[in-house]
Amino acid sequence: MPTAAILILILFSALLAAVLVFRPSITIHPGGKILAFGVLFFLPVFCLVTGVGSEMERSKSTAFCLSCHIMEPYGKSLHVDDPTYLAAAHFQNHRVAPEQACYTCHTNYAMFGTFKAKLGGLRHLYVHYLRKEPAPEGIQLHEPYNNRECLHCHLGARSFEQGAVHNADPDTLPAVKANKVSCISSGCHDVVHNLRQLDKVKFWSEAN
Amino acid sequence: MWRTGTMDRQLQTSALLLISGLLVEGLCLLWSRPIAFIVLVSLGGGLIASGVFFFLYSLLFVAHSGKAEKPHDPEGR
Repeated sequence: MPTAAILILILFSALLAAVLVFRPSITIHPGGKILAFGVLFFLPVFCLVTGVGSEMERSKSTAFCLSCHIMEPYGKSLHVDDPTYLAAAHFQNHRVAPEQACYTCHTNYAMFGTFKAKLGGLRHLYVHYLRKEPAPEGIQLHEPYNNRECLHCHLGARSFEQGAVHNADPDTLPAVKANKVSCISSGCHDVVHNLRQLDKVKFWSEAN
Repeated sequence: MWRTGTMDRQLQTSALLLISGLLVEGLCLLWSRPIAFIVLVSLGGGLIASGVFFFLYSLLFVAHSGKAEKPHDPEGR
């Protein structure tokens, strides 16, 4: 449901609840009782569920992740004009939906992945507001990046399954699929965000 | 069953809690920062849940207590 519609519903519910504050006597009639039940039970629960759902959806957006100051360099790294930059290449070529770029790669594609990603977000907030947060380039993943997140899209793709480097050694593909050889940290696709190099690279602009 | 002075007050309290919760939720939806989600769930959700539970509690325990419905009898019969 669009945010504007939820806001209108919230306003409508609050106005109806205000009627009950000033005129509780209307509940003397059966119609008033039904109204009270709708206004004091059904509508607020519906507003809360849709509001939380809308916020959950918004929390997957790239803009949401980059709204934290500390994430700005990561947002900048998505615009590096160099195809060896993994995050930038995925973002610029729409290999991931640009409006959900962070979430697409940094969620966990196992059961409860979204839930775990949101719990991770709560941890980020805790560190941001209550602990000393690291410098952007000092931020590390909670756990080593799992190939499962790459294979969610790449598994079965021609470039992955029949790529020359992937097939140079017959043990490579099975090891990658079993997460025994990391796509990222085994030296193959290890240029991801590389914040320390951002001042030395050219940037791509969508306007060009 | 439903009409008592206590019930009116309970309805008003419940409605006020819900209005506060709904306003917090509305503000959080407009304020698109990560902390807004926490405020929405904890404060907004807490207020709305309190309002709803207060209303349901009133329905079950105040409306059915029947104390205020008893006609006033000065002779104590």
